[in-house]
Formats: sequence, C-alpha cells, structure tokens
Amino acid sequence: MFSKVLIANRGEIALRVIRACKELGVATVAVHSTADSDAMHVRMADESVCIGPPSGTDSYLNVAAIIAACEITGAEAVHPGYGFLSENAAFVQVLEDHDITFTGPSAEHIRMMGDKITAKETMIKLGVPCVPGSDGGVPTIEEAHRVSDEMGFPVIVKATAGGGGRGMKLALTKADLDEAFSSARLESKTAFGNDEVYIEKYLQKPRHIEVQIFGDGKGRAVHLGERDCSLQRRHQKVFEEAPGPSITPELREKIGSTCAKACADIGYSGAGTIEFLYEDGEFFFIEMNTRLQVEHPVTETIFRVDLVKQQLRVAAGEEMTFKQEELEIKGHSIEVRINAEKLPNFTPCPGKITTYHAPGGLGVRMDSALYDGYSIPPYYDSLIGKLIVSGTSRPAALARLHRALGELVIDGVETTIPLFHALLDEEDVQTGDYDIHWLEKWLDKQAEA
Amino acid sequence: MTKKDQDTDVKFIQALAEVLTNSDLAEVRVKREYGADSTLDVRVTRAFAPVAAATSAAAPVMATAAPVAAAAAPAAAAAPAPTETSDDPASHPGAVTSPMVGTVYMQAEPGTPPFISVGDTVSEGQTILIVEAMKTMNQIPAPKSGKVARILVDDGAPVEFGSPLIIIE
Repeated sequence: MFSKVLIANRGEIALRVIRACKELGVATVAVHSTADSDAMHVRMADESVCIGPPSGTDSYLNVAAIIAACEITGAEAVHPGYGFLSENAAFVQVLEDHDITFTGPSAEHIRMMGDKITAKETMIKLGVPCVPGSDGGVPTIEEAHRVSDEMGFPVIVKATAGGGGRGMKLALTKADLDEAFSSARLESKTAFGNDEVYIEKYLQKPRHIEVQIFGDGKGRAVHLGERDCSLQRRHQKVFEEAPGPSITPELREKIGSTCAKACADIGYSGAGTIEFLYEDGEFFFIEMNTRLQVEHPVTETIFRVDLVKQQLRVAAGEEMTFKQEELEIKGHSIEVRINAEKLPNFTPCPGKITTYHAPGGLGVRMDSALYDGYSIPPYYDSLIGKLIVSGTSRPAALARLHRALGELVIDGVETTIPLFHALLDEEDVQTGDYDIHWLEKWLDKQAEA
Repeated sequence: MTKKDQDTDVKFIQALAEVLTNSDLAEVRVKREYGADSTLDVRVTRAFAPVAAATSAAAPVMATAAPVAAAAAPAAAAAPAPTETSDDPASHPGAVTSPMVGTVYMQAEPGTPPFISVGDTVSEGQTILIVEAMKTMNQIPAPKSGKVARILVDDGAPVEFGSPLIIIE
C-alpha cells in the first residue's frame, strides 16, 4: 500500500477519500484554493497545500500545481475524486511521467471513453448494447424506411451536422416517416447548410440505469449491479437508488456480466460506470465514466463494500479482493443530493452555515463537508451533502429516508431538502414508477400550480 | 486571423463580460470549435467587490457571495485589517507572496551566490528567487523597488500558493 496519498479534490468527496486512507493507515495530503483554507478536507487531512486562487481553473484543475504539491509533500499517489481532473487523460499522462500513481484507469482508457464516437465503437465491438441506428447518413427515403423497419418504430431523424435540438424529427409510426425525413432534411439544410441525416431508435420513456464495474487491470473484472438514477433535472441526478426498481435478477445478471466482460477484455483498472438508457427490458449504452461516481455509496451499501479502498488497493498493485460469486445484494439503498440551491429555480445559494445537524441512527450515512459556521464559497459545485439510507426493502429505505430528512438541519442557506420531502409524497416515487423525464415534468406541474 | 475575425471576437468577449456582470457570475468560459485548426477559448473572470449592503432583493446571490469572496482574498486588501496581528508576514504591505506551489531556490544553481540578501536594494523586475514546479524553474521578479527587509524562506523549502517569500520596504 502507498504510504502517502494526495487528494486532488475538495468537498465531501475529498473527505470520502481521506476516510478510506485513514482506515488503511495511509497518510493524506489535502490540496486547496485560497477560498477553501477553512474547508473540512483541509482540517481532516494530515497535511495540506494551498495550490492557487479561488478559481477552479487555477487551483483544482491546475496540473502543474498539483504535481508540485505531490513533489513537496512526497505523495506517491493521487486520488482525483470525481469532477475536476478525474477524467483528464493528459493529467494521468503527466503523473505517469513524474512516477506518481493515478488512482484510476490508464490514460488510454480515459481517452477511449472520453470520445463519444470511439467509446460507442469500442462498446459495440465488446458486445455492449447501443442505441440502434443507421450506419452513417441516410440518403434516400427508401433507405430510411428500410433501416427504420429493421430497428422498429418510433425512430428519430437527426441532422448529421446538428445540435441543440435543431434538425431533429420524431416518427412515432411508419406513417410519420416521410414527413419527418423531409422536414429534418429541410431544417438541416437551412440551419447547417448540409441536408445529411441519420436515423436512431427513439426511446419514449427510458430510465437511466448504470452498471458499476471494477477491474484489476490484469484482465479480471466484476460488476456490482446497477443504480437507477432516472430522477434528473437538466441531466443532473438528484435521487439515486440501488437496486433499480425495474431490474429483475435475470436482467441484472445479463447486463452486469456483459459489462464486466467488456471491462475484463480491455484490461480496465479500477472503478468505472457504464451508463444506459433502459426501456422495455432493453439497455442502450450512453457513455462510460472512468472514475468514482457521486452516487457510489448506494452500491457500497447494498454490497457492503468500500469502493475507494478497493481503488487504492488496485492502484497500489495489490490484488482485487472482489469476487463475483461473493458479491451479493442485501436490501435497498437510496441517496439524495443536498445542494445549496434555492427552490423552485435551483438558484445556487452560497453563504454561511449557521447550524448543521446530520441525521443519525441505524442505516443512515451522511457524506458532507459541512460544519457549523462554515462558509460555502461561491466558486464551486453546489453539492453540499449526500444523504444515503438503507433498508431491508425499498419501502423500508423510503421510510428511513423520510425519517432521516426530518432530522437533517442545514440553516443559513437555502437547500434542496424541501424537494425530497415533496418527492416522498408522490405515489410514483413510492412505487418507483418514473423515467428520465418524470422529474422535469413534475417540476413544471409544480410551477404551474 | 483576419481583422474582421478579431473585431468579431472582441465584440463577443465584450458581450461575455456583460453576461458576467449582469448575472453576478465570477467566471464565464466558452469554447468553440469552428474547424480543425480554428478554435476559440475565452475565459472571462472578475473579482467580487465587497458590497456594503444588499441594494435590492434582486441580487440575493451576490449579497451572500460577496462577503465570502472578500474574506477569502485577504491578500487583495491593500492594508491589513486592524484586527489582524501585525507580525503575520503575509499581511505586511511589503510582502512578496509565492505565485505558485513549489520549491524555493535562493540562487540560480548550487554553489553560486544567492540572488538577494537582507539589506540589498532591489529594483522592480529583478529576480529575487526561483520557485520550481514540475521541473520548471520560475524566476520570481521583485514587484517593486526597495530594500530587502526580511527573507522568510530557506533555500530548498516547499512553499504554497500565497506563502510570503520576502518583505521589501
């Protein structure tokens, strides 16, 4: 194991990594900007280094400063957390050149999955299901009918040069295709000066299901089931749970083993997440995140494992202790993201915390870097805490979430806590019947009311 | 780049600066890829000015953000606050602080005389020491002319961003 690790992050995730290091007997180095001198991760680490001014670009994203911090403290490895430099292949390359270990996959794998087209091509080769679509541009209406019949309706016609929703037309049935095809081409020609279009299968009410995988970098990999993160606002997850309410053990085994095999085949090292859209028993690859996810605690809870410790072990060259046959789901876990944001518009709300009281009791975990009197700086992400609960069943976990939210006190700033109280009253949330559009539709309805 | 492109870019950056002020943001970054070798990457930032009092309810974010930003950047204040202890070298008006994290070297190479000694007179722009980061030797210039009153770091010492290095009076 390493003797000293530098955590190139801030907030609750920096604490999360420091906790794992402490339990492994590894010394910790926190880095911080001038705005974070009083932050909890700085207090909890064995050493700290100020690496720059408040702006993230000049501090937490400043590769030279982080390398210099490793050099002056003698840290042997860096844990990047999530965000910031966690999926930056160039950073991983520079660390390698300086003989500092990166806790995560290789620069090559980060690069491969960071490019949408390469990622999709790779996944298709590895047998991971992707959204069916035409192979490149569709020049004629006859060809459009042929490919659409093959993948089944509804389909969506998209401009090859498109973006921002323009040049996109939906064909719910075969009868709509002629109209959709010609208007997408016309719109594309007008907007982008290029009338080439392609066709993809259209998912109406998909769920966001992601599979947690872990590889040892030597050709062995396991999966740790899925998380359902469908409750999103502007592509930001707000409520995550595991196991997914719509996923049967058979489906889990099928998609999980496909993902684990794909990661084993490419020799992937460390934690990773393969994200899918899920509809009617079918999975469609979106992207792969080559890092620890914000919502990793729900997986840790139901499998009773520590993903960060395992990351550090594998990075240090030790054997991965996860064995697929020993990874068994027990109970249910839910995470809600507490943001310093003012409802109903989710306006960021930095400021001073006057009172902070974390909920406790059986089956409650609060990952947060808050403390009484802490000032949330205005420069960074608004996530200030994650409340994670577990229960023997989904209803038990929901009841515990309700109870724990009632105990949680964060005074001084506006937070998203009231959103979760309201969501728990919704029948669809209670039954787990939601898709990726559910939350935005619900918020629109609340705004009208 | 043609003159016309430059004019468009300047207008674009001015527009971004307006967005920044009008929406009380601290930083805006825009990346645009126009083609294989034609990209634009602009970052516009500003420091929060301390606000005496919230002027209207329309700017709640600014009102809460400003004191935090102001507290986080004590180095920006010209004079030390009366409550601060005067023997903190970082708050000394003549303090030169490190612009980066790294290792300090007092001379150009081992065995050569140091750039400066206490009592020396330095002129603005003169190299006072080196901070090494990622094997790059960064020469730190004197921000103003004056007499070296104190040297606060030793040769080979690690320094953080903002660490006081020397005091020029």
